[in-house]
Amino acid sequence: MTNIKLKKDLLSKVKKVAAAGGYSSPEEFIEHVLEREIAKLEDAQSDEEIARKLKGLGYID
Amino acid sequence: MAVVILAALHSDPHSTQLAYIGPGAGFAFFGSFLTLVAGLFMSALSILLWPFRMARRALRSRKSFRKARVKKIIFLGLDGLDPRLTERMMAEGKLPNLARLAAEGTYKRLRTTFPALSPVAWSTFATGVSPARHNIFDFLDRSLKSYQPRLSSARVGQPERVLRLGRFRIPLSGPRIEFRRKSQPFWTILGKLGIGSTILRVPITFPPEKFDGKMLSAMATPDLKGTQGSFSQFTTSIEKATYENGSRYPLRRAADGFAGEIEGPLDTCVDGAPILRVPFRVVRRASSFELRIEGRRCPLDRGEYTGWQRVTFRTAIGAKVSGMVRFLLTETEPEFSIYMSPINIDPERPALPLSHPPYYAAYLANLLGSFATVGMAEDTWALNEGVIDEDAFLEQAYSIFEEREAMFLDALESTRRGVAACVFDTSDRIQHMFYRNMCRETEAQDPHARVIEEMYQRMDALLAKTLPFVDSGTALFVVSDHGFCAFRRGVNINSWLRDNGYLYLQNGELESGSFFEGVDWSRTRAYALGLSGFYLNIKDREACGVVSSGREADELKREIIGKLAKLEDQDGAAPIRTVYETASLYRGPYLEAAPDFIVGYNEGYRCSWEGAVGKVAADVLSDNPKAWSGDHCVDPVLVPGVLFSNRKIDANDPGIEDLAPTALNLFGVQPPAWMEGKALL
Repeated sequence: MTNIKLKKDLLSKVKKVAAAGGYSSPEEFIEHVLEREIAKLEDAQSDEEIARKLKGLGYID
Repeated sequence: MAVVILAALHSDPHSTQLAYIGPGAGFAFFGSFLTLVAGLFMSALSILLWPFRMARRALRSRKSFRKARVKKIIFLGLDGLDPRLTERMMAEGKLPNLARLAAEGTYKRLRTTFPALSPVAWSTFATGVSPARHNIFDFLDRSLKSYQPRLSSARVGQPERVLRLGRFRIPLSGPRIEFRRKSQPFWTILGKLGIGSTILRVPITFPPEKFDGKMLSAMATPDLKGTQGSFSQFTTSIEKATYENGSRYPLRRAADGFAGEIEGPLDTCVDGAPILRVPFRVVRRASSFELRIEGRRCPLDRGEYTGWQRVTFRTAIGAKVSGMVRFLLTETEPEFSIYMSPINIDPERPALPLSHPPYYAAYLANLLGSFATVGMAEDTWALNEGVIDEDAFLEQAYSIFEEREAMFLDALESTRRGVAACVFDTSDRIQHMFYRNMCRETEAQDPHARVIEEMYQRMDALLAKTLPFVDSGTALFVVSDHGFCAFRRGVNINSWLRDNGYLYLQNGELESGSFFEGVDWSRTRAYALGLSGFYLNIKDREACGVVSSGREADELKREIIGKLAKLEDQDGAAPIRTVYETASLYRGPYLEAAPDFIVGYNEGYRCSWEGAVGKVAADVLSDNPKAWSGDHCVDPVLVPGVLFSNRKIDANDPGIEDLAPTALNLFGVQPPAWMEGKALL
């Protein structure tokens, strides 16, 4: 668990937007926004690694 | 200044997680040691704090249950139990307990999710929201950078901090284990209010979330190699290992029998990450064989599974990683062959977190014996590939069923108040693998023609064992997430997109490799991945997107839907019933991750094996030759699930999203506004 400080005004907006958007909490909304931005900067895993991890899943060959 | 607490994703301080060092291949640095120490410490602490906890719990419990209309809710999940078959067998008097429950309480068909897939539907069961709010749309999703498929619900990555000492790499932090299902399950909400739950093997609970209750993870839990379950075959019929259609390894003939080596996870503690291995021998006895592994001896009789055998892999820095396997001697003459199950993570010494609290898996193993821990434990691929036969598959499936039944009954014994929920996969796997045998015309000649019917009767008998725990203060729900139908023909949407000018291959090729190898993304406007749908290649969303979002995408969607719905098989049959634009099905914050289209296949069809992994094949339509001959990846309106209850439910069209708010409501808790389901009681 990590604490991040937000201004009250911003938190108030976060709560409203999260509720309107269908998130189950303000934390979930903030996580989603941050994950989306971070994903743009991250590298993709190697193809071989991805394929290997899916091995054995009954639904695919 | 206000404080927002960001839950660092799954950073629960499980000791084994902290010790995990594999690249998703899964093995633990001192994992077993830390688990043991943590277990002893927690036990001592638990004894010391017991009087205080009991007093606090009694006070809290009285308050928590003040508005409750029930003391206890039992969810008996029977994955894939089909309403048509259930109704037919009830009418024939073959399911007396289910029929009685229907007569005295409720039986209804239960609307499933779009798509009708277990990870999607059980996530909706848990959270009471649509996929656009819980973020699970399929078994697979895709990387927007590489177009590669990924498991949609969990990602296991390298530890963030590693100390390099010469050629050795010492992990200084736990692995990154990311849970991708969003929103909140009803048991978390109940837990915050002091109402505890025991949640056993409900799909999409890996990694286990911290909450006030007990949980054993299920679907998406990897094996020790980090895969979704890789079987091994050891045989004298090959000289070199081969990894096509399963992992097959040579078995060497020796003076007194045979010798082989088990391949385990990679040793990421040393440069080059070599494969960890454990040798074993099979010694010929007078009229049978004996397996010798790590100093232990175990009888190995043809056609009989061994019990769970612990295998311990030792890394270059001395750490041990423990897994569990079962062996089956499948042939002795002229070739000698042994099947070995996927290397399950050892519940007593878990290399990755399997439960919450972390020691719950070890508690169950100590109480009831070891058990399968991999997400999809029944080895459907071993049967598909002919490494085990139908009877061996059934024996394995029912052995796993019995392990789970024992856990469920233990949970029922210990749950006086709160929720006890368990999902049994046996019903799903057996229908997948024996659907083609369920044919009345060939019933007399086929020894497996009644396997599915017998399975339904076994589930009915399970209900009979559950009913003694149901009193007037208990609400019982028997639930399936979807139904079933035949899978005779596969549809490769990628091949159809190629034929219709929406997908192009490099150098004018007509076929691609798996995972879109050879696709020309600069000209490709749509592509299919996973079991349920397909995507547009959108600019500024996909790495090589070419379709502008907005008007261009909307027109393209209409064009593709119009054409694809007219697809015909060679006999004139329509493989596709409806093509759904996903944005018209549900709304929520994760909709952007969903396939742009969900394909509603007609009964008898499904997306092809090759198309699901992004392969462009020569033909759009092909026969399904595999034993895996039943499926539910069709138009969801064709495969609703079942809902039984001891309570009267009047709702006309109950959906699986209604069960979470129903559970909350029965305990006197107002369902939160974000939940889309409606309380049925």
